[in-house]
Amino acid sequence: MDCQGSEETLAAPSEGGPIVLVGNPNVGKSVLFGLLTRRYVTVSNYPGTTVEVARGQASIDGRREVVVDTPGVNSLLAPGECERVTRDILVQERPSAVVLVADAKNLPRALVLAAQLSEMEVPFVLTLNMDDEARARGIDIDAALLSEILGVEVVRTVATRAQGLDALAGALAAAPRFSRLAATYDGEIEEGIRQVMALLPPGLLAARSVAVMLLAGHDVAAAMEGASAEVAQRVAAIREDLQACYRQPLGYVINQQRLEAVRRIADVVYSRRTGVGEPLAGVLGRLAIHPVAGIPVVLAVLYLLYMFVGKFGAGTLVDFLEGVVFGRYVNEWAADATAWIPAQVIKDFLVGEYGLVTMALSYGLAIVLPIIGTFFLAFSLLEDSGYLPRLAVMVNRPFKAMGLNGKAVVPMVLGLGCDTMATMTTRILDTRKERLQVTLLLALAVPCSAQLGVVLGIIGGLGAVAVLIWAGVLTGTLFAVGYLASRVLPGRGSDFIQELPPLRLPRPSNVVVKTLARMEWYAKEVLPLFIIGTAALFTLERVGALSRIERLASPLVEGLLGLPGEATQMFLMGFLRRDYGAVGLFDLAREGQLDPLQSLVSLVVITLFVPCFANFLMIVKEFGARTAVAVAGFIVPFAFVVGGLLNLTMRALDVGL
Amino acid sequence: MKCALCGHEFTQEEALCNPACPLAGGCPVVCCPRCGYQTVDESRSTLARLARKVGAMGRKGFRGQEKAS
Repeated sequence: MDCQGSEETLAAPSEGGPIVLVGNPNVGKSVLFGLLTRRYVTVSNYPGTTVEVARGQASIDGRREVVVDTPGVNSLLAPGECERVTRDILVQERPSAVVLVADAKNLPRALVLAAQLSEMEVPFVLTLNMDDEARARGIDIDAALLSEILGVEVVRTVATRAQGLDALAGALAAAPRFSRLAATYDGEIEEGIRQVMALLPPGLLAARSVAVMLLAGHDVAAAMEGASAEVAQRVAAIREDLQACYRQPLGYVINQQRLEAVRRIADVVYSRRTGVGEPLAGVLGRLAIHPVAGIPVVLAVLYLLYMFVGKFGAGTLVDFLEGVVFGRYVNEWAADATAWIPAQVIKDFLVGEYGLVTMALSYGLAIVLPIIGTFFLAFSLLEDSGYLPRLAVMVNRPFKAMGLNGKAVVPMVLGLGCDTMATMTTRILDTRKERLQVTLLLALAVPCSAQLGVVLGIIGGLGAVAVLIWAGVLTGTLFAVGYLASRVLPGRGSDFIQELPPLRLPRPSNVVVKTLARMEWYAKEVLPLFIIGTAALFTLERVGALSRIERLASPLVEGLLGLPGEATQMFLMGFLRRDYGAVGLFDLAREGQLDPLQSLVSLVVITLFVPCFANFLMIVKEFGARTAVAVAGFIVPFAFVVGGLLNLTMRALDVGL
Repeated sequence: MKCALCGHEFTQEEALCNPACPLAGGCPVVCCPRCGYQTVDESRSTLARLARKVGAMGRKGFRGQEKAS
């Protein structure tokens, strides 16, 4: 093999550009880089970024070549920092060759990059790495045919065993070729590309690729250097005209058409022997994202969640903790222990109607903890199994209909974990429009794990019809508001690329540790809030303000929502956290003060509240106080209006629960 | 720390959700900046550390029994 990095064997330096390794994440690119360079590697941040780029030297066919290892990317045309760095290296350093490292088990992913390299007019060699794993799974790739279609050398490697390096060195030594793979788009887009190319500076390298990126809406400032403002305006006008032909964002359409071209190639060269190799997890993983078969999977997951959290957590465990532990022992012990206190006000503060023990601790430990404990356990199982990214793929389809595309799905699904965190995750979105839209939807209709657990637990007791109505109202609201927001808020959407980890059996140690850590966090964060909320209610009641607030809110709570006046207290608590308000409503229902319809209406209202005070603070931090107040100012009245409409409709139709 | 899902290595400062979150003081969960996956920062959770310790003791005891038999 003539492919090594020891100084002794290095000959005269090459006159061409570097050899650049490009590939998807986790395909063994860095292992290959290590094998090629061996020593003399420098790792530094790419200028102006936090992305690390490694450079080393290798001897290829007696020439000393600089080898550059770029960050793993799924697309060269996406707007992320890693993608930009890789793109800049390819455009500015004009490599003598690119080694496109593919995971042979997932060839189509690499072919997307191959199509983009072809568009960028960069010569490359395709390396089918992890070839052994692919063969073990019964995957056959016709390398000769693939080489013929692409017009470049295709070699097989197993980097972890240093296999195939001779073939790679040979391919690099034999002057890598430009690919003839040309992803063609439909007539309108091709015409748009032609028009944009005509406007680009003459002699621009990779002009077609730049034109595609401009049409897709990516910032290609370097390529546009020297272009007049008028040219930039004309490009924008072409893009706008073209966008008017499609319902989906143009970047998404271009990506889909490129993927289609890639699929056609994969269909010809890629086959899997049936019954060989593919593990059950692989089959289940594919089922979970299938447009039709994936739906029963989602429903089955939700049903199991409902049974575990709603029936077991909120039923069996809460009955035991509230009825037996607190009802028979803790509350009585607390009453006995405080009997000696002479001041009635202090006694009431501890064990009265709004007492720290009888209300705050009872709610927090006897009702909320078992419900969120079971929910956290279920959520950790889902997370560790790799199902959540697949759920993102499933919900991406309906989300597209409301103008919410791509990466927006990730924070929406993560919102099921914690809305406050998910609000921050909206930073990964490209446009302010999407960020604001997702933040609004998160605050309005995506309950976090704790809130979902409590609300599911409570509503589970009302029966399947109530669960369906609650879920229907919530989903309808989510879609209606999302759709309207996408029309009202200015800006454009972005594309969706979701890396899917393998589906696997959850590791018990991970699940236990995560569940315990989340429960600890919840106890630390929420119990103090419960105590503060209870103390506030106690104070309001002592000064007589509670009854006045109830009277003031009476037209809304009693008139519009059809609830008893006491429910006002729970909505007040809901301003601190939705689940605190929900658990108060749960308590009212258990005392027989709410019938099933009233429970349903009140839970719909509390689910649509702003999630918690921390979430409000996060919106202030991310968007400023004015936007945060506007979001909350929209959400709270909106929640009451939806609840009121549900109440009036259910009564008018005389729907029984 | 290393993301359990995508293998990306990141520091506490790079974690997407934690440093800027108003609740970060008590929150032991950090999010991978690449994929958003939530990972527990065990050093910040007493219960998580305890669970790991118990698990390690259990495994040690099991191995000891195996050797003895």
